[in-house]
Amino acid sequence: MLTIIIRSIIIYLVVLFVFRIMGKRQLGQMQPFELVLTLIIADLATIPMAEISVPVLHGIIPLFTLVLLHFLLTILSKISSRFGYFISGKPVIIINPKGIDCKALKALNLSIDDLFEAMRGVGYFSLDQIQYAIMETNGKVSILPKSKFSPVTNGDINNKADETSLPVNLISEGKILKDNLEIAKVDEKFVLDFLKNQANNNKLKDVLVMTIDKSGKVIIQMRKGESKVFENVRDSL
Amino acid sequence: MKIFSKVMLILIFLFLIFISVFEEVVTSNALSQVHNICFILEEKVEGLEDIRKSEFILIVDNMEYDWLKNESKMCYLVNHKSIQEIGAEIAKMKNYLGENDIKEFKASLEAIKFYSESYLHFMGANFHNIF
Repeated sequence: MLTIIIRSIIIYLVVLFVFRIMGKRQLGQMQPFELVLTLIIADLATIPMAEISVPVLHGIIPLFTLVLLHFLLTILSKISSRFGYFISGKPVIIINPKGIDCKALKALNLSIDDLFEAMRGVGYFSLDQIQYAIMETNGKVSILPKSKFSPVTNGDINNKADETSLPVNLISEGKILKDNLEIAKVDEKFVLDFLKNQANNNKLKDVLVMTIDKSGKVIIQMRKGESKVFENVRDSL
Repeated sequence: MKIFSKVMLILIFLFLIFISVFEEVVTSNALSQVHNICFILEEKVEGLEDIRKSEFILIVDNMEYDWLKNESKMCYLVNHKSIQEIGAEIAKMKNYLGENDIKEFKASLEAIKFYSESYLHFMGANFHNIF
């Protein structure tokens, strides 16, 4: 029994160490490959704990191998966004201003009931409240409400306002997201010119994130420093 | 990525390499050693009617001593149940020597040869084991 107790302590400490170096993501925020990894780790850890004839190393070695694999996949995902999309998937718009995107639902293997459940989960009970709904790669649904259904809505104060638009990520961690350029109706030159002329001649690699919306509002966050907001950028360039 | 994580990943990588090499060296040396001694003993006892000789007792004692030493190292790396038969057969051989039971002694030698060959195949990184 003492052996099992000591083994359990060792395995527990190793699993704790493994999760510690893997990062602080919580279960609900996991990407698919991280969830797979967590399930395997949980299973692997129990084998040498209960079976005395199995060396503790038989539990530790696969754990360490999986950690290395996890970091390799993370690094590859950062190097190649295509690979990242392949491993983690891509956020998918399931509701747009025209309504529910049936093709997207089918591709995600989601039923209408699932969609409504997810909507209710974030506090929206009617389709007409939603401007955009996005299925994130971690399985959660993010909703951008129509402006009159925002927490403090313009509708409440009878203020006529333009419909909200979806900000599009143009740069993520120093890399231009080429797929999103088309959605935002800008090109690579626009992004580079903006960085050169308006954003204090910042280098692309130093940009953590840059978004643009339909009205031309650009939000830029450098790796070091505070985020900055630029209004009507489309007109000025 | 934090420096801590980077250092840990490098250490884990080195640890995995070390363990892989250590396992390969320890298991193949231990199993080859016991396998070779069995061949030597088999040749020596061939045609003999009396095996109660101090030379054989010494060889088997040394084989047992070396095996126990190697077995304790291997226990960190392989399932203990998988390698315990060799130790059991060596213990039996000591009895057969005392009783001059040549037939059983040879059978034990064959068993050890079989186990050591199978374990060598079973523990190596090859196509069959991986898939």
